[in-house]
Amino acid sequence: MELLPQATVDGLLIGGIYITIAIGFSLAYGVMHIIDFAVGEWIMLGAFLGYYLNLWSVLDPFILLPAIFLVFAVIGYLIQPLVYRVISGKKGNPVLMGLVFTFGLALMFRGAALTGFGFYSHSIPSAISQDSFFIEMGSVFITIPYVRLAGLLYAIAITLVLHFVLKKTDFGRAVRALSQHREASGLMGINAKRISSYVYGIYVGLSAMTGVIIGSIFTLNAQMGGEYTILAFFIVVLAGMGYLAGVPWAAFLLGLVQSFFLIYLNPSYTLMAVFGILFTILLISPKGLFGRGV
Amino acid sequence: MSRKYLLLILSFGALLAVPSVIHDTFFLRIITEAILWIGLAISWDVLAGYTGYLNFGHGAFFGIGAYTTALLMKLCGWSFFLALPFAGLAAGALAVIAGIPTLRLKGAYFAIATWALSRAIQQVALVMDITGGPDGMRLPTFLHPDFFYYLMLGVVAAIFALYWFLLEKAPFGLKVKAIREDDQSAMSLGLNPTWIKLQAFILSAVPTGILGAIYAYWITYIDPASVLGDLVTDQAVVMAVFGGLGTLIGPAIGAIIIYLFKTYFWAYLSDYQVLYLIILGGVIAASVVFLPNGLWGTISGYLQTRNAVKQKPVPQEKIDKGVHHV
Amino acid sequence: MKGRTKVLALLLVLAMSVPVWADEARDFFKVGVITSLSGSLATGGNVTKRGYDLWADAVNAAGGIEIQGKKYPVKLFYGDDQSEPAQGASAAERLATQEKVDFVLGPYASGLTLAAAPVLEKFKIPMITGSAESPMIWKEKFRYTFGTIPPVNYTGSAPINTIAGLNPKPKTALILGSNDTFSKATAEAFQDAAVKAGIKVLKFNIVPSGQDLIPYLSAAKAMQPDLIAFGGHDEELIKLVKALNQINYTPKALLMHYGVTEPAFIEALQKSADQVFGASVWTESIKTKGEVLWPDAKSYADAAMKAYNVPADYTQAGSSAAGIAFQMALIKINGVPPLDEKKRDELVDALEKLKVNTFYGEIGFATEGQFYHANVGLTPLTIQIQNGKVVVVGPDSLAESKPLYPMKAKK
Repeated sequence: MELLPQATVDGLLIGGIYITIAIGFSLAYGVMHIIDFAVGEWIMLGAFLGYYLNLWSVLDPFILLPAIFLVFAVIGYLIQPLVYRVISGKKGNPVLMGLVFTFGLALMFRGAALTGFGFYSHSIPSAISQDSFFIEMGSVFITIPYVRLAGLLYAIAITLVLHFVLKKTDFGRAVRALSQHREASGLMGINAKRISSYVYGIYVGLSAMTGVIIGSIFTLNAQMGGEYTILAFFIVVLAGMGYLAGVPWAAFLLGLVQSFFLIYLNPSYTLMAVFGILFTILLISPKGLFGRGV
Repeated sequence: MSRKYLLLILSFGALLAVPSVIHDTFFLRIITEAILWIGLAISWDVLAGYTGYLNFGHGAFFGIGAYTTALLMKLCGWSFFLALPFAGLAAGALAVIAGIPTLRLKGAYFAIATWALSRAIQQVALVMDITGGPDGMRLPTFLHPDFFYYLMLGVVAAIFALYWFLLEKAPFGLKVKAIREDDQSAMSLGLNPTWIKLQAFILSAVPTGILGAIYAYWITYIDPASVLGDLVTDQAVVMAVFGGLGTLIGPAIGAIIIYLFKTYFWAYLSDYQVLYLIILGGVIAASVVFLPNGLWGTISGYLQTRNAVKQKPVPQEKIDKGVHHV
Repeated sequence: MKGRTKVLALLLVLAMSVPVWADEARDFFKVGVITSLSGSLATGGNVTKRGYDLWADAVNAAGGIEIQGKKYPVKLFYGDDQSEPAQGASAAERLATQEKVDFVLGPYASGLTLAAAPVLEKFKIPMITGSAESPMIWKEKFRYTFGTIPPVNYTGSAPINTIAGLNPKPKTALILGSNDTFSKATAEAFQDAAVKAGIKVLKFNIVPSGQDLIPYLSAAKAMQPDLIAFGGHDEELIKLVKALNQINYTPKALLMHYGVTEPAFIEALQKSADQVFGASVWTESIKTKGEVLWPDAKSYADAAMKAYNVPADYTQAGSSAAGIAFQMALIKINGVPPLDEKKRDELVDALEKLKVNTFYGEIGFATEGQFYHANVGLTPLTIQIQNGKVVVVGPDSLAESKPLYPMKAKK
């Protein structure tokens, strides 16, 4: 039995989910230099909004995505000035201050979710979560679940949209200017505060949509945030912090590592391998896979 | 400044007398654990506050110390005091092995690399048979409250004194601070930043391993979740930041306040348990917004300005000209 | 400086002037509850709390525990272990020294029990846990620690034996477990039983908790295992069923453990939960005869539903049963509050000899061997989800319905 195609496909599918977890986060880091500990909690809150909207409207979670994005983009836009104040303070260590501040936010969100939504795990049903493509050619066969393929396509779509926005629009040029030269961009008439607010809104909205995807592929519960926060950190660091183009490659790499360990090697060592490889890559290339991080 | 340390010595003396005054072993246990957290917060701060490197894998040193002790006592039948130095050694060895490559990394990369390393170590403990995997390990039971109180107090006081001497009195402290402020110019002064940073890393790791050893013997049960999880690091970071980075007293104060809040909340207000995370999170977030230098940093900053104003009044004409700005 | 010294002195005096609770005479029992009300295990911890509360409320509604003609109510004192062993030990110390509890109802998880037990051992305070059940606890042979839920290596073989007896008999199995104490022990119990029942184990693996298993399962699909057995917690079980749906593989039988009886499992999976096998020791429909408080499982389930508006599960039932075990043992030894050290020792002896029928089933603690002080009075059940309901399908003597087998594909 030839398992290589299956292992590769599964690795890419997992990688797709990882892209959605990390891409908004990487964007926010590039512009604001904030390491947001609450990224997993945004994912969790988005998942719950998706869960309740789905219960109420019976619409497929994938159709609900734009609504979720809007709600959370507004929340992110409104909360950004507070975050900005913390990380632009002259005193202390701004990176650490941002980390600790968002850690506090994450605890508050988790506590509020436990109070409001309870402890139990839920699932967001989707019409496409029950079946898969099955391809068989001689001894080679591949199973591709519909819902995971949808997740990967979604990940590729938002990556391309972000790429287009950053390269081709005025807003995108302003964002790139801001992430390269904060002071100089101010001289060029770019309103750093306004742009940062938009970026933070986009990041929170993207993370919330990721929650809905995760809720329909896996499960959601009030305590799910922590694990996704770690994943987001690891992928973004592997990609090079703030280097958006590196995110898909880092995500696919981690996905493939997991898939190959689960299929070919000892599944018990999967996570150990993931952390070990991340650590090793950082030692070899201290600014991420491509040495392009900031 | 000497008054501050007189106060410290006085409170140490008071702490020595605690077991003879308080016979309630629960309170003794609480104070013992508060002292443990003081040790963990200051040992994290040695690297973070003094050299600027945020170690998010601090818990790994604690866990290594705990597991080393458990393994030596259980498998080799060693006594606790024989195993104790090896717990420190193991943590120190990890600091050397991990420190040489990771200390080249900057800012967030260092934080995440150390975090990844601690996660990998947790996975190792989870999959090995010798460590009991997810079941963890039980140690020989020796539940003597006074013994653990004095041991913890003695060890943490020694750590505090060592740090204070090395960082505040000896030239080492100046070197470390020079590197935190500017790597390059420190190098041009003939300092070897990598070596000094590594020394600080070891200085942070060894005591943490020893504290892990005491914890293991005291609680009698360890598992990968409790001693190798994120909890130890998270709490030490929050305590140090809340109290004030880059000092020894700040993290100690932060440890006492946060630990006591946590303990009293759970012991006597557990009816309001749903609010706990919300309150704790709110306090942490608010303290960063309103006390960016931490509690102690803010207080001592305030005292210094007051003293400075007292000692050297600003001439009226300077204020009129707008030259003086605080 | 002087002002600061004064403040410090005041603080020290305050810290030291801790009131000392005297061991005064009282006409009620002080019952400590150590469990996870917060932290990562809070879900399960709150289930045990509901079980302990329900027992206390029922006892007090009847006026208390009747001993030599007088009724003594019970009062619960909570100690949250915050899902951390150190805090579990600390909670035990507080309940022992400050509240001076007569006995303790124990933690949800095994690690917490292992941390609290030595402290209670020191103070000679008996504890019964209504939930923790790792084989590791019983190996330690704590004199003062008991448990109402049988260890997983005692319950895990029942469903495998039931499934092995079905037609056509499953020939091959894929067995995996999540890497935590309970799940790993479950998977190992499944494996042992499968080998004994003559089912060939194609693959046995312990996987990291929370791991996405799609690659593993799509590779395993090629081997077409008849039985997939998985040890894990509710969230992981939901993920596994969803993953199997996604890759469109239906084994002849899908087996998990307790987790499938949790309401969240059926709620989250809806129809996909159907025909999944599980193991349990209690469901609200089993036939039991209770000598005290609740006459049968149904009446307990109704009382629980009325009190909390959440269906009772085996953990909650086991927790309430832990209270009953203490209650019956106290009556045996004529123990009136406060219990002194000698009386508490008698209580332990009485618990060792105890044989009582409850709504939960028979409680009888083993006094030797690998199950020392675990409840071995119960019959392990094989259960299955049928039309969204938990139904007992084995052993034959207790079955309410025939197992649905082989599993129907979802489409």
